[in-house]
Amino acid sequence: MNKDKKKTSLSYRLLWPIRNEKWQSITIPVASILISFIAAAIVILLLGKNPLQAFYNLFQGAGILPKASYAGYKSMLTDFLSLLNAMTPLVFASLAVAVALKAGLFNIGVSGQMLFSGFLATVIVGYSGLDAFIAKPLVLLIGIVAGGLMGGLVGWLKYRFNIHEVVSTIMLNYIAQYVISFFIQMYYIDPVSRQSQYISEAARLTLVNVEIANLKMDIPLGFLLAIIVAIFIKFMMDKTVVGFEIQAVGSNRNAAKYTGIKVGRNMILAMILSGSLAGLAGVTYYLGYYSSIQPKVLSSIGFDSIAVALLGNSHPIGIIFSSFLISTIDQGSTYMSSQAGIRQEIASVIIGLILLFSACGAYVKHKVSRLKDKEVERKDSES
Amino acid sequence: MSTIIIDGLSFALPLFIMAIGGIFSEKSGITNLALEGFQGVGAFVGALSAVLIANALGTDVQNMFYVSLIFAMIGGMGFSIIHAILCIKFKANQVISGVVINILAVALTAFLTTQINALVFGAASDKFRLGVSERFTIAGLADIPVIGAIFTDVYPFQVIIVVMAIFAWYLLYKTRFGMRLRASGDNPHAVDAAGVNVLKVRFSAVLISGLLAGLAGMCFAYSISANFSSNIYMGYGFLAIAALIFGNWRILPTFAACLLFGFAKSGGTFIAQAMALPSSYTDLFMILPYVLTLLLLIFFSKSNRAPRALGEIYDKGKR
Repeated sequence: MNKDKKKTSLSYRLLWPIRNEKWQSITIPVASILISFIAAAIVILLLGKNPLQAFYNLFQGAGILPKASYAGYKSMLTDFLSLLNAMTPLVFASLAVAVALKAGLFNIGVSGQMLFSGFLATVIVGYSGLDAFIAKPLVLLIGIVAGGLMGGLVGWLKYRFNIHEVVSTIMLNYIAQYVISFFIQMYYIDPVSRQSQYISEAARLTLVNVEIANLKMDIPLGFLLAIIVAIFIKFMMDKTVVGFEIQAVGSNRNAAKYTGIKVGRNMILAMILSGSLAGLAGVTYYLGYYSSIQPKVLSSIGFDSIAVALLGNSHPIGIIFSSFLISTIDQGSTYMSSQAGIRQEIASVIIGLILLFSACGAYVKHKVSRLKDKEVERKDSES
Repeated sequence: MSTIIIDGLSFALPLFIMAIGGIFSEKSGITNLALEGFQGVGAFVGALSAVLIANALGTDVQNMFYVSLIFAMIGGMGFSIIHAILCIKFKANQVISGVVINILAVALTAFLTTQINALVFGAASDKFRLGVSERFTIAGLADIPVIGAIFTDVYPFQVIIVVMAIFAWYLLYKTRFGMRLRASGDNPHAVDAAGVNVLKVRFSAVLISGLLAGLAGMCFAYSISANFSSNIYMGYGFLAIAALIFGNWRILPTFAACLLFGFAKSGGTFIAQAMALPSSYTDLFMILPYVLTLLLLIFFSKSNRAPRALGEIYDKGKR
């Protein structure tokens, strides 16, 4: 009995960093990140390489730590900017997932919505030769509208016909993928790259190869917008009636109904919102990070974003941090594999592990609070 | 006409067995979006063991067909333990667990495939070559008009799938275990009150889904792609989920849904070929199964009813 008590108190002491409930929404993801890096370190050790060196290379490649040498016109700043460039669509996509989650819906169709809006913007604005000051806002607008329409369709099908959103989004993903691939291959194909023709620079949301102070950098204009939108979503969810109603529908549909909230309307609204965020992700991806569309391929961002949203606790600000981390690992992996001789694929394994451990967050929370109760009991019985 | 049936069946049956796996899991109350990952890892383990054993014995990979099927089932089941533990023991959100497992499956198999290819075979390759499995034709039956196509150019795995599907149907609807499994998804507290461990029932249901999905993944690898690579993650797992929701979580309607997918897919390709259209038009016909599903769902999903406790974490103390 005595030994058992000691065991409780030891594990209780070991858990001190994640004991405070107020900070658990931050400490638990951080703990899962640490554990996955340790797990990855073990794998790298087994392969006979130095894990610390590998992780250092990872951050060097992402532009967070300086590399030993740079090619002409490149520096840490240019690397960091391309990290932000890659991260922008992920932030939007994860916000899209998070907003739908708040309404209790799973938007698995982010990839399809991204592709649809990216394709429309490419066709309408990308090849039009419009002036940059008109083209760029127009691209954003098309992204929002196209994504919103597709998201709204999913919400409407759910409300009107009781079609599970997981099924309808999967079907729409396939339909978008094939139909758009057809149009690209018929009308917009570039015979050399086997992708859609490149869009005009004026329509692109990332300024490419801007020469400043002898550096050639890519400036992602969408990134600022992503931060602003994240703060806006946070404000909307916390302070407005719309946000409150959406969350009420998400936490208990029946209770929301009894208080007079229009459940169907709010579900459709949440899906429109989620879809337009996905649309923004689409235009910043296909008309920002890239400038063409590869036919027949859905971007993996749509699925990664579900997990990134989870890692950020579906909290807009948390999402900015979690997508920063995931993009860092993703971006740094090329440099790491060239420097440390470790396969690039290990990066996605690390990401997978982080997500796996953070999925256990609820259990850890539960276990910690149980341990806490036991500890209080133990102290009571001692005194 | 007969090519539509032959190709349609060879696609529909693996999809069907995977959907049955999904039905087992979801009927027991565990949402299973992880089918995609299960089938990929199953195919990976099956392909890996086939390649390794063939290499050790010095025979051709083609002879390892049945061995690889068995290993694929073991692999899929082994990987599904993660989903089971996460959902049942760790009380994680089941949809999130499924998505995470899919991401992990893609990453792990891609990493291990290149790593093992480099270590064991000294080749910089991201796939295991398997070849297409042999087919057979049943002489007498194949001569019957129209229906005869069912017995023409059959993959051996199709027979295995049919046998397993009948067994799965029996297990789910005619045995005590099946009854408890179905009850766990609708009213877990009643199952608990009857003295059955709900968590154990759900655990075994998820393992069964992993086993069947692994089998399906290996069948896809041996028929459609003729190798194992990350091409295995074509979204067939999600298609199986769509089929089972379409089939209202029952095995026979799900079979019809899978046949619809299979025939719409092979039919679309057939029409495009018959009309001698350029290859890009095939893309347009490829949407047939998905558009059909959406349209049919609009008419039928009013009566769709998911298992009542689906996706809910079982909490003994809850009323």
